[in-house]
Amino acid sequence: MSERKEVYGKAVLYPGCSLDGLGKSYEVSLKLVVEDLGIPYQRVEDYNCCGALEVKNVNTMVGLLLPARNLSLAQSMGANTVISACPGCHYSLSRANHYVNKYQNVGQRVNEHLKKMEEEPYEGKVGTAHAVEYVYNAAGVEEVKKRVKRPLTGLKVAPYYGCLYSRPKQFLGTGYSPFKDDPERPNFMDELLRAAGAEVVPFEAKTMCCGGPHVYSDAEVSVHLEARILKEAKRNGAEVLVTDCPLGHVAIETNMDKIARKYGEELRMPLAYFSQLLAFAFGHSPDEVLLTANLTGPMSILRRYI
Amino acid sequence: MPIPELEKPIIKDVISKEKAIIDGVEVDGTWNSFIVERTQTGYDESMWDEISSTLEGVTISACWQCGTCTSGCTMREYDPNFSPRRFIDLARKGDRQSLVEIQDSLWRCVSCQKCTHRCPKGVMVEEVVHAIHNNLLKHGLVREDPSTKFDELFLETVMNNGGRITELTLGAASAKAGFVTLSVKDLIKMGGALLKSGLVKDLIKPSRVRKWSKVRKVLEEAMKEEVIIQ
Ligand code: SF4
Ligand code: SF4
Repeated sequence: MSERKEVYGKAVLYPGCSLDGLGKSYEVSLKLVVEDLGIPYQRVEDYNCCGALEVKNVNTMVGLLLPARNLSLAQSMGANTVISACPGCHYSLSRANHYVNKYQNVGQRVNEHLKKMEEEPYEGKVGTAHAVEYVYNAAGVEEVKKRVKRPLTGLKVAPYYGCLYSRPKQFLGTGYSPFKDDPERPNFMDELLRAAGAEVVPFEAKTMCCGGPHVYSDAEVSVHLEARILKEAKRNGAEVLVTDCPLGHVAIETNMDKIARKYGEELRMPLAYFSQLLAFAFGHSPDEVLLTANLTGPMSILRRYI
Repeated sequence: MPIPELEKPIIKDVISKEKAIIDGVEVDGTWNSFIVERTQTGYDESMWDEISSTLEGVTISACWQCGTCTSGCTMREYDPNFSPRRFIDLARKGDRQSLVEIQDSLWRCVSCQKCTHRCPKGVMVEEVVHAIHNNLLKHGLVREDPSTKFDELFLETVMNNGGRITELTLGAASAKAGFVTLSVKDLIKMGGALLKSGLVKDLIKPSRVRKWSKVRKVLEEAMKEEVIIQ
């Protein structure tokens, strides 16, 4: 086991705005899971917004500087890897990493600005990983199995990874390393959920887009994309849609009524973060992991395990 | 004046003569028709150079027009005019006018990254699509679209709220900008859940980066800088 922990060296967690906002149930439950598994959970303090998928479209330099400042903060904590629970942050930090390493003059300009902010120049060496990969590689499926006190036997789940957990390979390195998930058909979350006793249904919409960046600006398309994801999960008999992306999670939860009105009541389904289900399976109470705060009310299904 | 793409035949005209004698031999039938060729004009070739010198557009030249990006594109299913392959083709030809004609499609990329991930030539397609759109915006050739408006709002919200956003600050800004966001009913329902999680206070009084005023100043300087790739 100690060998597996070496994968990431010193790992720190970049919370990002979403984990300190509506994604609080993600952060609270992830912390419980990681601590139960005995792997480190140390937050990057005084971080700023990573710029997500928006800022890069408005201004190239600021689109790099926002994530680069966070990478520099991680570096000054002595980190080898920065873990993001939000795939949007994971993507954004990885993108900055790619560009500062690939184009030297860009990296230099970024560092000159970082110096003016009184941050350490970023050397481009901090690796990035998503929370699912972190739990899967640093702790491992066997360790998860050992912690399960409340097996979720018979719970039918559809793991929804979203776009940016594994795409694009050029930024995230997916498909090139055994510690990265399969970019087209990921399965790390499947295995973690199976380890908690759940039954993973066949689900081909795992990495389909939820229209996230355009929930406001192209709302009809987003709602339709979300309905398609739910339809796939329903069609295969899933009871809960399990998420690893706070953007997708919040978008689908808040749109659920709209989706049901427009595309049919039968599409209604509760959502839970993968970490909420793992922490629940590890014996934590629904209140502790904030399952009771999810808008779509997953406790209506999970009650049978208490 | 650029010519619309679909109306740009290479053949300008056909001349048919009743009687044509070539090298002393009278020709008839199809042989007495002559094609008047033309050189296509109206393209602005500097567009290609402009895009390939940006960080986002630097990979545009590698594209071999296979169409893999378009065939898997999320947005393509909703909008038949949305085709990253074609955007790249038009941009490299410098056909700004054809791009302007499909401006209502150009902004609709949802950044799902399928195209970039799958491109066999390593074109960073999602980035290139944004670089093309940004080029038109820069030249003032297209109307401001909802996505750009939202992206600008996002950056503004980050800058004005201590370097971080919350769903509330962003939602309020979007509502002010006229985006339809959540209904009152949705808000009440969400409010209940937020109270339960004790999140309300975090959202109403979001945390800020401690030395934001310094960071912000540097960012504002950096905004003026153009990133050029040689
Ligand atoms: S997949 Fe790549 S090479 Fe093929 S058309 Fe798209 S950008 Fe060009
Ligand atoms: S990132 Fe944009 S262009 Fe690429 S596949 Fe997705 S929607 Fe289409």
